[in-house]
Amino acid sequence: MTDSNHWQVIAANDFKRPFAPTVTRVQQRWQRFLRLFGIRENEPEEENNDDVEMPDTMEFDRKPAVDALNHHFEEWIGGKETVVSFLIDPPFSGTDDIARDWAKQQKWKLITPPDILEIRAVDIDDWWKKQTVKNRWLIDDLTRYLLRTTDGLSFIRTLLPQMLNGEFGQGLVVCDSWMFAFIQRIWPFRFSRVYCFAAAGPELLQQVGIHATEYSLRKLAARVRGNVGVALAVWPIEQDKDRKLPELPGEANDVTAFVLYSILLHRGLSGNLLHEVLPMVPSDDLNLQLLQLEQYGILRCNESQWQINIDAYLAVRDFLSGRDFRLDVF
Amino acid sequence: MDSEQIIGLFKKITSGTIIEVIVLIVSAIALVWLAEKILRWLAEHLHSGRRLFVLAMIPTIRILIFIIAFVWIVPLLIEPTLQNMIVILGTAGVAVGFALKDYISSLLAGIIAAYELPYRPGDWIEVNGVYGEVKHIGNRVVEIVTADDTTVIIPHLKLWTELIHNANSRDANLMCVVNFYLEQDHDPYQVCRLLENVALSSPYLNLSKPVLVLLEEKPWFTHYRIKAYPMDPRQQFQFISDLTARGKQNLRELPVKFTHLSTYHDTIQKNN
Repeated sequence: MTDSNHWQVIAANDFKRPFAPTVTRVQQRWQRFLRLFGIRENEPEEENNDDVEMPDTMEFDRKPAVDALNHHFEEWIGGKETVVSFLIDPPFSGTDDIARDWAKQQKWKLITPPDILEIRAVDIDDWWKKQTVKNRWLIDDLTRYLLRTTDGLSFIRTLLPQMLNGEFGQGLVVCDSWMFAFIQRIWPFRFSRVYCFAAAGPELLQQVGIHATEYSLRKLAARVRGNVGVALAVWPIEQDKDRKLPELPGEANDVTAFVLYSILLHRGLSGNLLHEVLPMVPSDDLNLQLLQLEQYGILRCNESQWQINIDAYLAVRDFLSGRDFRLDVF
Repeated sequence: MDSEQIIGLFKKITSGTIIEVIVLIVSAIALVWLAEKILRWLAEHLHSGRRLFVLAMIPTIRILIFIIAFVWIVPLLIEPTLQNMIVILGTAGVAVGFALKDYISSLLAGIIAAYELPYRPGDWIEVNGVYGEVKHIGNRVVEIVTADDTTVIIPHLKLWTELIHNANSRDANLMCVVNFYLEQDHDPYQVCRLLENVALSSPYLNLSKPVLVLLEEKPWFTHYRIKAYPMDPRQQFQFISDLTARGKQNLRELPVKFTHLSTYHDTIQKNN
């Protein structure tokens, strides 16, 4: 890696979140405490924002990240072992886009995920035949291979052992960090060759276009848990006094938590599939929850898929962590 | 001991002393009430282990406040010499002990309960066949609320003699058991796999705790049990309902049949 490229691929077990300055940690705890009492305090202003240049939301130059992948996987690609590697993708981090760019550059085949009928039928052979894979391949989003219903878990549990045995040849699997935490629960296997991008620090944030003081960047990196995509979305909002990050409604309850966790786990769900995942919630209540969360800016409906808004991700994560949901480690 | 000696044990009590004692007692009661209100309100905004931790502080804080008030009040009324304290407290203890034996026993059990923690607010306990959530631990009684929203008041005295079943002792992990009764002619491995998936797909499931599916052959049916933990003990009944509904819905799609036993079979089963 060159000195100017701060993208780095590391083993997932070595991932470390950026450490927040003590003042920031105290402020965050204080704000969390105030939220318990329903008091919303404005985020403290940055010390000096005159030199702020706001980047385009979520758009950044992915080439240096692709180079980092190339550098890291150089040996693995050159080897003859038909092993599969995993690349963990924290929500909104852009890792899936980077992996697609990389696979395109390497001329690796992009695998089409199974549809819901194929997931239920657990017919792996038939699904794989349709892929017509002759060489190496990329699964760009493993969340599309599982539905958290009684008949939606078996497909991935059948697929993973075959994949790890090398039956499908060499490939890279991009897996959402929340889904990876869930898969480790339903299929408790000690995965090897699991990688991720190192947490973004001030240098990487500057590289993707956020320019501010070192202290401000350190604070931002810690706040967004080293997630470049979230940093790019949160930064311009925090700099604009007229805009605020979305917050969950005060009346958020168990159902709200189930809806948010399900959507986060599957990286977006249609209304119908959400109802299948949460059959105990009446349709009317579910629709009410979805509309309310949309009103509060937490969710958005994109081509009939309900998704978490990028600027609401930190609030959602915080909310689920307060209720002891199984979180990702990123 | 003549009356003069008894009077000599006490300090000269003025109207100022009486007012001070009243103010102290009222302040202690108000402080306990306020602390309980604040902690309860805070606990309602928290979940799982954090909620139980806050609730568990209530009885301890109450006892601490009362001890401080007692230690403050006694020297206002009695000359605080060792001899005086032994005489007064010993005499009062014997007299009150005889008159209010059960009441004092309950109070003592309450203090021991605060120390040994056989139950804490937020725990789900069963005493004498009554199952419910501990809502309030008073000085003399513990109040539990059953699943049917009935408040049951149990004297701490029961601590000496009864078995106390605590379903989530000292943490937020409460195991739920869901039963299914199937006719015997079927593939048990297929059913076990399905029931495990049933548990894993429930949003109430605490994913950091294990899921266990057990089966037992009975004379007229095969008895399956899912053992799993909800994320919050308060969700236990919804969790059981959810697992039951999901299990029934999915078992109907397998080549298995649910048992239809008469009350006659049920009686024989119980007698066996």
